[in-house]
Amino acid sequence: MHTQDFPQLASVEQIERGFESYGYICSRKIATAVFLAFQLRKPVLVEGPPGVGKTELAKTIALLLDLPLIRLQCYEGLDEAKALYEWKYGKQLLYTQVLKEKLGDLLQGAHGLAESVAKLHQFGDIFYSEDFLEPRPLLKAMQQEKGAILLIDEVDKSDYEFESLLLEILSDYQISIPEIGTVKARTAPMVFLTSNNTRDISDALKRRCLHLYIPFPTVELEERIIRSRVPNVEAQLRHQLVEFVHSLRQLDLKKAPAISETIDWARSLLLLHAEQLEEELVRSTLNVLLKYEDDIDAADSELRTLVRDRLADNRAR
Amino acid sequence: MQSNLVNFIQVLRSHEVRVSPAETLDAVDVAATLGYANRSLLRDGLAMTLAKTPEEEVIFMHCFDRFFQQGLADFAAPEIPASVSEQADLSTTTNAARQAADFTAAQVTALQLSAENSATLQVLLTTPLMQHLLNNDRTELTLAMNQASERVGLQQIQMFTQKGQFTRRILDAMGEEQIRNAVISLEQTGSPALPVLQRYRDILREQVRDYVEREYLLHAEGRTRQFMDEILSKTRLNNIEHIYLHKVQELIRKMAKKLATRHSRKRKLLKRGRLDMAKTLRKGIPNDGVMFNTYWRQVRKEKPRILAVCDVSGSVAAYAKFLLLFLYSLQDVLPKVRSFAFSSHLGEVSAYFNDYSVEKAIELVNWKYGGATDYGNSLLDFAKLAMDDINSNTTVIILGDARNNNGDPKLDILQSIYQRARQVIWLNPESRRAWGSGDSEMLRYQSACHFSAECNNLKHLERIIDQLLKSTR
Repeated sequence: MHTQDFPQLASVEQIERGFESYGYICSRKIATAVFLAFQLRKPVLVEGPPGVGKTELAKTIALLLDLPLIRLQCYEGLDEAKALYEWKYGKQLLYTQVLKEKLGDLLQGAHGLAESVAKLHQFGDIFYSEDFLEPRPLLKAMQQEKGAILLIDEVDKSDYEFESLLLEILSDYQISIPEIGTVKARTAPMVFLTSNNTRDISDALKRRCLHLYIPFPTVELEERIIRSRVPNVEAQLRHQLVEFVHSLRQLDLKKAPAISETIDWARSLLLLHAEQLEEELVRSTLNVLLKYEDDIDAADSELRTLVRDRLADNRAR
Repeated sequence: MQSNLVNFIQVLRSHEVRVSPAETLDAVDVAATLGYANRSLLRDGLAMTLAKTPEEEVIFMHCFDRFFQQGLADFAAPEIPASVSEQADLSTTTNAARQAADFTAAQVTALQLSAENSATLQVLLTTPLMQHLLNNDRTELTLAMNQASERVGLQQIQMFTQKGQFTRRILDAMGEEQIRNAVISLEQTGSPALPVLQRYRDILREQVRDYVEREYLLHAEGRTRQFMDEILSKTRLNNIEHIYLHKVQELIRKMAKKLATRHSRKRKLLKRGRLDMAKTLRKGIPNDGVMFNTYWRQVRKEKPRILAVCDVSGSVAAYAKFLLLFLYSLQDVLPKVRSFAFSSHLGEVSAYFNDYSVEKAIELVNWKYGGATDYGNSLLDFAKLAMDDINSNTTVIILGDARNNNGDPKLDILQSIYQRARQVIWLNPESRRAWGSGDSEMLRYQSACHFSAECNNLKHLERIIDQLLKSTR
């Protein structure tokens, strides 16, 4: 990827504006990370609680640059046959059948075994060539002519061995295939790795990446996000609901509501024609925000004070 | 600027942010790409390459602000003495400022007047240091201080005890000696300019002291902490002062994390040599029965089970606490830990650890099972509770001093545990020399253990648990 090909990424401010036009409101830090990743050709390891827009970031960049997004979802047991490449066994088999019939023609005029083998050798090792290679996401990302956005999602769910597999790809943008050799990327893809921090990523992998931690957004940023994603919500309600979600995050919850949940909640309130937060309304829609029964119970007991505080805030404004 | 960046990385390293040379290069690239004009942009950019966890990021931000935001030292002329300001009319600030300026000027003239009588003072007044002081030229003075600190190698400061020494050396390098000499000679002659000069000297000293203090915090605070950790990990656990307990717990967590990453590889082995015929055939069906891929029998190792039996009587309680803390910090790699506590009788305490945080659970255990020790009885209880669960996959760790108050040791029970378990490990906080002395049954119990070791500080504990993890895979 070259700088002149992508004027969208020429400066940090430009990236921010570009993202905004696709409805992704980001902090200065995120834009800086993207800028650096592009300039220095380094992968970005994005960490943060679930639902703060880690995956969305990669998707938005793909939109912004109009490049294909190639996504690899990691899980326990993911191996190179599913992530890198596989041989097309069916095709190989078919070709052996064809070859069997053609063998007579090919070997015409050869006397003795040694001569036949020598003649066969002239055809090369066609069964293990690129024609028989089934590219999986990682290899596919390397093969894109104009570059691609490679999203390796939830890398912490994969095994340690898989991490080592990624090292070569992330530092040199190449893949070693024993039967063929090294396949270099036509254009280095932009790589995003996301992690939910369920386990520690190895130092070797971390070292090769820029490290971006996306925390829960500030009230102001989250309001801007809601405005961009759910434009029909009234300003007053928007402020109330964002403040409410923020106060929920202060509680001791199993899973704090993330941005995606705030967006869902804003949409639900819109559907219910709410004009401002009311205790009953919040209680009945709490399951949009909180995903555990324990959390809902915990929030329920605090609900009255939380809602009253929000309304009081509002009057004070 | 590049050397400044390298210095900054040194500071980060001393604060336990691990930065590799490759990351240093990345940081230089980042700085070159972003430029030095926008401070917060540069900070965010550097944070991405240098800090790899949220915790490190906090440390990074802290260090960055301290390192790059050193204000200029303030060498302003001494405050107007109270007596003077009372007399003066201070109704308006401009008036006060003028007064101050007048006062400084008065001081300078006072110095110059006395200089006519004293050769030392005359020479002193011409030195750049004194000139800068008189003019309150902050930039020059700060610069002089930085250069002096570089000359005496202030960045090498390691311990807080070195602070005075470095302050002295910097003052010397800046030429404070001359002021000192002048003060002495003025004292001898009893010159009226003495208090003025003394005040300038004190200001200079104070500024340098502050500067050294700041640099110490920047460069050595982390190092002192490392030193502290090192000491703590070698101290006998029951000697550690109460106030350091939280630090020890932190240390244990860190050690546990290290061990966990080292050992948490998947317990799955390919046992090449035995073909899984059925699977190979089945997988060959789509390929017209040609067995393209071979599948080999896999052996999945069962996760190890650990039974930790801890003596929580007064003499050993402190050690038990740390062993349990360690074992429960290793939940990632040791998911099946059952713990038992005893002194006169024994009970299972695993439930406490499920219900409460580790620290709280340990407190409860100590409270419930503390008392005088009876190993025989406790082994009996243990056999009743857990003997059926002990198999070739179980590791039994016993922590205790084996001092049985001359009771029946019930060695036969330990022997039957020894025969059934994968391994029995006895950790004794007493030193090996004391084993078998007095009412200690250690030598006898030792005969029914696969492994017994002295264990009374964190280093021992770490080594033993490392071994344990190695042997359980």
